[in-house]
Amino acid sequence: MKSTKFSPATKLSKAEVDRKWWEIGDFFRRNSLWMLMYCTGCCAIELPPAMTSAYDMERLGMGPMATPRQADILLVSGYLSLKTLRRLIYTYEQMSEPRYVVALGSCPINGGIYHDSHAVINQLDQYIPVDVYVAGCMPNTESVMNGFVDLMGQIKNKKANGWKHYHEHFAWYKANQITSLGEVDVHDEFHE
Amino acid sequence: MKQMKLFLGPQHPGMHGNASVHLFVDGDIIKRSYLLPGMLHRGFEKAMERKLWVNNISLIPRVCVPEPDINEMAYAQGVEKLLKLEVPERAHWIRMIMLELARISAHLMSYGGLGGPTGHYTLMYHAHADRNSILDIFEKISGARVYHQYIVIGGVRQDLPKGIEKDINAFLDDLESRYIEYRDLGIENPSVVARIKDTIMLPEEVVWELGVTGIGMRSAVGKPYDLRKVMPYARYDQVEFEVPTSTYSDARSRVDIKLKELVQSISIIRQCLKKMPEGPVRVKPSRGQSMRWTVPKGYVYSPVESSRGEFGYYMVSDGGTNPYRIGVRGASYPQGLLGIEKYMPGTRIDDCALWVDTMGICSPEIDR
Amino acid sequence: MTNSMSNIEFVNTLVNKHVKPLVTDIIDQFQVGYVVDQNEIHLLLSALKNEGWIQMSYLSAVDWPEENKFEVVYVIFNWDKPVYIQLRTKIDRTNPSMDSIIQIYPGAKYYERECHEFFGIAFPGNPDYEKQLILEQWDDIPPLRKDFDPQAYSDRKFPQRTYTEDYSVTNNEPSKAEKRKLRKQRAESLKGGKKQ
Repeated sequence: MKSTKFSPATKLSKAEVDRKWWEIGDFFRRNSLWMLMYCTGCCAIELPPAMTSAYDMERLGMGPMATPRQADILLVSGYLSLKTLRRLIYTYEQMSEPRYVVALGSCPINGGIYHDSHAVINQLDQYIPVDVYVAGCMPNTESVMNGFVDLMGQIKNKKANGWKHYHEHFAWYKANQITSLGEVDVHDEFHE
Repeated sequence: MKQMKLFLGPQHPGMHGNASVHLFVDGDIIKRSYLLPGMLHRGFEKAMERKLWVNNISLIPRVCVPEPDINEMAYAQGVEKLLKLEVPERAHWIRMIMLELARISAHLMSYGGLGGPTGHYTLMYHAHADRNSILDIFEKISGARVYHQYIVIGGVRQDLPKGIEKDINAFLDDLESRYIEYRDLGIENPSVVARIKDTIMLPEEVVWELGVTGIGMRSAVGKPYDLRKVMPYARYDQVEFEVPTSTYSDARSRVDIKLKELVQSISIIRQCLKKMPEGPVRVKPSRGQSMRWTVPKGYVYSPVESSRGEFGYYMVSDGGTNPYRIGVRGASYPQGLLGIEKYMPGTRIDDCALWVDTMGICSPEIDR
Repeated sequence: MTNSMSNIEFVNTLVNKHVKPLVTDIIDQFQVGYVVDQNEIHLLLSALKNEGWIQMSYLSAVDWPEENKFEVVYVIFNWDKPVYIQLRTKIDRTNPSMDSIIQIYPGAKYYERECHEFFGIAFPGNPDYEKQLILEQWDDIPPLRKDFDPQAYSDRKFPQRTYTEDYSVTNNEPSKAEKRKLRKQRAESLKGGKKQ
């Protein structure tokens, strides 16, 4: 008798085969996310208790990573001044896909306590796509871990598609970046 | 001789905070270097002019992120000097406890930061686990882990909760019993000592030329020039402690002084808990509603000894409900900007991240 | 405490030997402030440095737009006779320029550069005081002057998040925000003019 386990009844199309490979890949990806070490603002003080032995992050499978080319998550911790945003966009475009963005604090949501400042941006969503927001000023370390678990749930349900959104609406993101920043890649980086 | 341009940029696993150093190197030796500040600039001095005197207490802890209590102390002390206000006795002792706990947590974080550039991450794990216990004590006292808003104009916001002396004493006993282990992991460890002994020197003429204060000055000059002894503020003249000094200033002796100061802070907190009197902790600075009171005219500079040096607020009032001008003197401003430009060339690339850590450079207070 | 009172008298006699200050302001036993003329600053600073005030703590400026002047502030300290001395001078606001003091205190180089960036004061004698230090590609007036409005700049350049009002009031009472606005208008009309 022909076994149905090893010989499929119908042949699958290419799109369905790709989708199955993506599901397997997502399973491995969400259980071993690597985080880029970049402390951009004040909320970065709550990261060392999460990375070290107080509220251990490695039991979720996450670990720190030094270069953007091999990292999965870009963690935006706190407010973003104009100088940091230029270098952050440069770093975000160097990461390989799929890549996720987690924003800590209330400053990326609507400006927070610096909403009327001449050097801090008000809404991070206009410049790069964000997947998970963690509110608070500053959020507790347990809230940060909760945010990571939410991201893992979103990857499982195929909702963490920020990087695809960046590809489709690239012109809109670039127009916003140039309105607020002037130019993104500074020409005289060394200011001589 | 072609020089290569590198930047030890803001995204670096060994860098202490969000600062970027631009280097011009020839082989392995640095020929020219300067710091690029401004990545953390928020416009604090402008924002403080737009808020009332009372509102600024919630904005101010964010100026110096690892040790936020010194900001509140310098601001409250300056306004009390302008108002000529006397704070109740118990409030002075509680302020001393908070300041010394913040000093211990900042020293632990900076000692753990030695682990990043040298590759000894175990040191960072130990230091941050102990710092987390201090943050839990802060949560019991004031309600928040990092930004407390506890030291206000006129005293302290509320009294210490019952039973907090047991928690603080238990934590201090635990930290003191593991002091030998901290020394063995860090500065008695031969592979760390090989990186920090006889490197990153700071001679005495350089200290007076740049205006360096704090541990850098005490390790080069050899005299106890500490603001808590020379110009005592909140009841520091009624506790006994020593100020460690040395005359040969390389990176290892500065880290050694940091650990000895940590032991002195533990003894100060124990004396405070024994000598504290009972009484009220807060006096109202004005009759009536606090949203409309004014501060008389004057110009005052109010300094505090932080873990990195002299940290001061320069406050100008013109008799109104808002401050007229507040200027912040960051403790690591001299050695961060002019020190990196003049005295880092001649060292090697692998010393650069250690330079930033052992000189005590903290980037949020340079940019404000 | 007689020790520190004599420190303040020592400083007073020393300063009055060289210049005549316009205002003398003793704040407490460790701090004293003097207002002097613009040309006397270099003389006074070198004299004080020779007597032991070798640490420069702070250098900055204050903006007084009604008098049309900037006020430049120097704060110096001596660790052996602990007294903070504040020296203040007023300079013109339309073409502000003050000679640099890096021959006396070399550590003032970056303080002057930052002062130029935030107020617009020129410091001839300082080699590169015109380069930007903290701001990058700044396209407006120097930010710490009193006629710069940071909220208007932020609204113009950075888009804000809009929240939708998707709630409805089902009991027929006026909203509390309306009542608050009416109360405020009534209070201002009783006081007779602009609030302090």
